[in-house]
Order: sequence, then structure tokens, then C-alpha cells
Amino acid sequence: MKVRWSKLLLRALLCTCVISGASNALAQTVKIGWLSSLTGPLSSAAIAENQGVQLAVEEINKSGGILGRQIELLTRDTAGDPTKAVNFAQQLAFSDKVQFVIGPVNSGEALATTPILARAGVPNIVIGALDELVDATKYPRAFRAINTNLQWISTANNYATGTLKKTKVAIIADTSGYGTASARSAEQLLDKAGIKPVYVVLVDANKTDLSDEMSKAKAAGADVVMPWSAATGLLGRLLNARGDMGWNVPVVGHPALMAAQIRKLLNKPEYWDNTFAAGYQSTTYGADGKLPERTQALVDKVRGKLGGGEIDVLFWWVALGYDTVKIIEYAAKTAGSFDPAAIQKVLENTKDYRGVYTSYSWSPTERNGFPDANMAMNAASTFKDGSFKPAPR
Amino acid sequence: MFTVVVSGLAIGMLYAAVALVYNVMFSTSKVLSVTTGHIAMLGGVFGAWFMTGLHLHWVIGLAGAIAVGALFGGLTELLAIRRVLNRSDEHLWLLSTLALATMVQQAVGLWWGTEPRPFPRLIDQTFSAGALDQKFWLPIALAALMAIGLEVFYRRTLFGKLFLAMSEDAFAARARGVSTDRIRVLSYVLSGALGGLAGFAAGQLTFAYFALGLTLTLNGFIALAVGGLGSNVGALIGGAALGLLNAFASHWFGGSYQQTIAVGLLMVVLLLKPEGLLGSKNVRPV
Repeated sequence: MKVRWSKLLLRALLCTCVISGASNALAQTVKIGWLSSLTGPLSSAAIAENQGVQLAVEEINKSGGILGRQIELLTRDTAGDPTKAVNFAQQLAFSDKVQFVIGPVNSGEALATTPILARAGVPNIVIGALDELVDATKYPRAFRAINTNLQWISTANNYATGTLKKTKVAIIADTSGYGTASARSAEQLLDKAGIKPVYVVLVDANKTDLSDEMSKAKAAGADVVMPWSAATGLLGRLLNARGDMGWNVPVVGHPALMAAQIRKLLNKPEYWDNTFAAGYQSTTYGADGKLPERTQALVDKVRGKLGGGEIDVLFWWVALGYDTVKIIEYAAKTAGSFDPAAIQKVLENTKDYRGVYTSYSWSPTERNGFPDANMAMNAASTFKDGSFKPAPR
Repeated sequence: MFTVVVSGLAIGMLYAAVALVYNVMFSTSKVLSVTTGHIAMLGGVFGAWFMTGLHLHWVIGLAGAIAVGALFGGLTELLAIRRVLNRSDEHLWLLSTLALATMVQQAVGLWWGTEPRPFPRLIDQTFSAGALDQKFWLPIALAALMAIGLEVFYRRTLFGKLFLAMSEDAFAARARGVSTDRIRVLSYVLSGALGGLAGFAAGQLTFAYFALGLTLTLNGFIALAVGGLGSNVGALIGGAALGLLNAFASHWFGGSYQQTIAVGLLMVVLLLKPEGLLGSKNVRPV
């Protein structure tokens, strides 16, 4: 019996050592909070971005971490709910005491969390496109990695009016805050170009048929239809209405027009033709049919993770997720510490930091890091591995 | 304009079908379950899965959607209704059915995905049929058939008469030897089957979409309240009125006012005729 007790004592001592060792290792981690709407509406983008985030964390940890510390990723599923996003942001910033926060994914959630993270002084990589989300004065440590909504709209507008030479524009947006604001911005930008849309309408995102709206656009003489909505159901129904009517008007607008889910909702595959959306140079095939080198390298890595099959999500989501972690790595390594003020200083003096999704530049007065030059127009029906051929010029 | 009428009528008849499902459940339990719209959602999602995922013939897909609906109807009674009714006269069923509805929606979202998915064509028809497309006429025809079928069921069958007896006075029915618990389960299984059928018939209109349940629960309730609780004809009229009003509101004023007008209709009817257009006033002798 004595022998057994001594064995138990030895084991207990060993356990204590292991636990204290583990807690020391944990203390040496760098904590990154990841606010991701992995479930709930509009989860497709979050799931794809999560692939990129996970891959980058895995790579960095394998190569020794950041400044010798392993990354501890604290993923919080907000389910697309701003209330949950707020609770998680507070928890990450004040209880978990993370050094960085990525996200949230949806602009509606980010509107609520950005002020909280700013109050906590936590560097925040913003991946929502709504223009109001960043402000160098109010939220000095929030740096946007994604393009702005205005960049999407102006790229699409320029293509419709400049390249396609269309002047009779119909704008169809959904009734969400995003759709309403985007329709207004699109109208204002067109107005600056001297074009007054012939038809503007807001539609409930769950409306089951858009024949009425498309018939009205046609009757108004529209020569291009520009939808502003991220709701794939609505966009699918819009393209179905156009196809069923036999009206071959070009549809030019939001990137969601190119999502793989849309393809599945179409009555006929050819209904995706003559559909163009704002995209990116990094996920556009060149004249030689190849993607930019960095994008291709990431495609190969992700394909390996997915078991070698076709990538059926918009690949820029993955690239954006990957870059957010890489930006954090770059900032901490350049600053030589995880001090938030030092991180802010590095990021606001960043010029052309090369990621996969784009090259990022921020300044003391500018928190939008995505350059206009990296925007592109894509042809939706050319979807291959989440990337596209350029729209015809 | 014909397209506006037909598309409004089609979605309105889906609301009417959900209202009929409410009626069947309510007749035996006096409960308006939040899961009602979710049953129809399950019919659409599972119907699409049977046909596109398992590549089964649409007849088997239909049978499967009905079976899934019936199963979920029975589960609703078992998990969210029975114990609550046995223990309390308060309206706690609102919370228990809401909890079950939320769990089912989340589970379907995790399994099926959160983006809408296509529902296959059931009848060979070109896509250029316009207002005559099957996606419009299937839900319209089904709601009408459901209302007729339920009337026949209530008037011509023993079980239908037992439903009516429980609807009139559950205590009196029990006193006369009716097994009210069994009849209530049966009514939930029946309503589940009808809900699954409705979701299947409207699948081409709504797509197979996990978040459809709550919309249908709300709009089905509005159709029911407008038409009159307990009236099958009222449910049809309420659903048609709601669908048409939504369609014309969207046609004339755009989508911004659509929901406001739908809820406005409910408010007007509740103010002017609280029992609904064809509902009966409850008179309590004192």
C-alpha cells in the first residue's frame, strides 16, 4: 500500500509540473479574437474567411509564432447578430484581454463593436465594407483591410457607364440598411457623372418573385440593371426574372452576384451570362489564364486542405481572412512588441504591405487600406476556383 | 398586373396554408405554436434534399417531406406542448414552442447551410410561362385543396368530429370518454403533415431556405387573425388578402412599406373586428 501511495504522490507532482508548464506556455501566447458569423444568415463569407484565418494561424505557429509566441485564436461565433457581437467584443477585450481583434464579418455587427474595441484600445482589423466603420480620430486603432462599399459601387458604376456606355440605369436594392444606403450612394455617384437613373426601387430581400420590378425597369427603358444587395436569394430571383423574360440586359453590381450559390439558384446556367460584378485584381485570371502568383500559391494550399476538389467559395474571402492574420504578424514583428500604441504607429505608417488579397497602405489620417487600383470588374459566369476572368472591355 | 396578382396570391396562399395548420393545432390544444412556419420550412428543405441530395423521384420526395413534417408536428406536441399544458394554464407554450423553433432553425442552418438552395421542378414546364408557372399555381391549388380536405375531414369523419368536440369543450369531450391526449397528438401529426406538404408545394417559390420558418409563422398568424381563428375559409381569405396587399404595396410603393402594410392590416382588423373576418365571437354566459 505504501508503494502505491508514493506512486500517487509522484504522479500528482508530475501533473502539477505539467500543468504549471502548460500555463506558462499559455502565458506566452498572443491572443487574437476572431469575431466571425460562422452560423446564421450571411455565414458563407465568414466560413470562407475562417479558412484563411485558420491557415495563416497554423502557418505562423508552425514557423515559431510571432516574436516567439504562439498565436491563441479565440473564435467567437456571432451568428450575424449585433447583440452577440457586442457581448463577445466586450468579453474578448475586457475578460480575455486579447491583443488584437479581427472582424466582425458583417458591417451591421461592426457598427456596434468598433466603438467598444476603440474604448478598450485594442487594435482591430476591420473587414466590413460600410464606409462609416473606420475613422482615424474616433477609432484610431481600427484599420480596414477590405475595400469600402463606395469602391465597389464606383467600380461597378464606372464599368456600366464608362466601359459599357450605358446611360439608362435601373437600381434595384434590398430594404436592409446596407441595401438602402448603397442605393443612395449609387444614385449620388451616378448623379455626379450626370446620369439620373431611370428606375430605382427597394425590394424586400425575401420577395419571392422579381418579375414586376424587372418589367418596370424594362418599361422605363433601362439599358443596364444594377442590383445592390448581398442576399443571394434576391439576386438569384432577379437573374431568373431577367432570363425568364428573355431580356438580355446587362446586370452589373454587388460581388455577391458572382457567388457560387447564385449559380445553383438559376433556372438555366446561361442566366449567369452578361452579369458583371465588382471584384479584385488578385482574384482575376490574366490573359494567360493564370492567377497572380501569390493567389495561386494560396489556392494550392487551400485546395490541399479541402482534399483537392474545386473551390466553390469566392476566393477573395479566403485571401482576406488569411491576410488579416498576416497583417497582425507584420505589425507586431515591425513594432517589436505587442504594445497597442506601437502597433498603431506601425500600421498607420504602412505603405504597400503585400498581402494575397491586395497591397495595404494606411496613414495617420487614412484607415482604409485597400487601393482603388486593385479593384477589377469580373464576368460572373467565368467562376473557377472562386476567381474570375475580367469583364469584357 | 396579372403577374403581380398571381405572385401575390401564390405567397398569400402559402400563408393561408400555414394558417390552416395553425387551425388544426389550435382546435385540440388552444395553442398557437411558433413552430408552425418551421414545419413548412422543413417540408421545403427536406423535399429539396430528398430530390437533389438523394436523387429520389419527386413523389418519394413529397412523401418524405410529409413524413418529416408529421414527425416534427408530433415532436412539437411531445416536447413543447404536452408537459406545459399539463402543468400550467398560463401561456408558457409560447416560450417552449419558440425555443423548439429556434433549435430546429439552428440545426437546419448548420446541416443545410444558411444560404437559400434551389428546389427542383416538379412538372415538366418551360420557364417562360410567366404567371402560369407552376411555382405560383402549386401553392394556390394546394391551399384550396387543404381547406376543402379539412372541411370534409371535420364534417365527414369520426376523428374530425372528435377534433371539433375538443375544440368546443375539451373537458366535456374528456368527460364523454374521448382520449383528449391522443387526439391532440393526432392533430399535431396531421398539422405537421399538412405543413410539410405546404412547404413542399411552395418550394420553387421560396427556395429551400433555413430562415423561412419565422417569416411563415408571423405571416401565417396574420392571415389567421385577419380571417378569424378557427375558420378555414377565413384563413384562405386572410392569406389571400395579406399576399395581395403585400404584392400591391410593393408594386405601388416599393418594398420599404411592405411589412408595415402587412402589420397595419392586422392592426386595422383587430381594431374593427377583433374576432377576424369570419371568426366567431366567444360569448360567455354569466
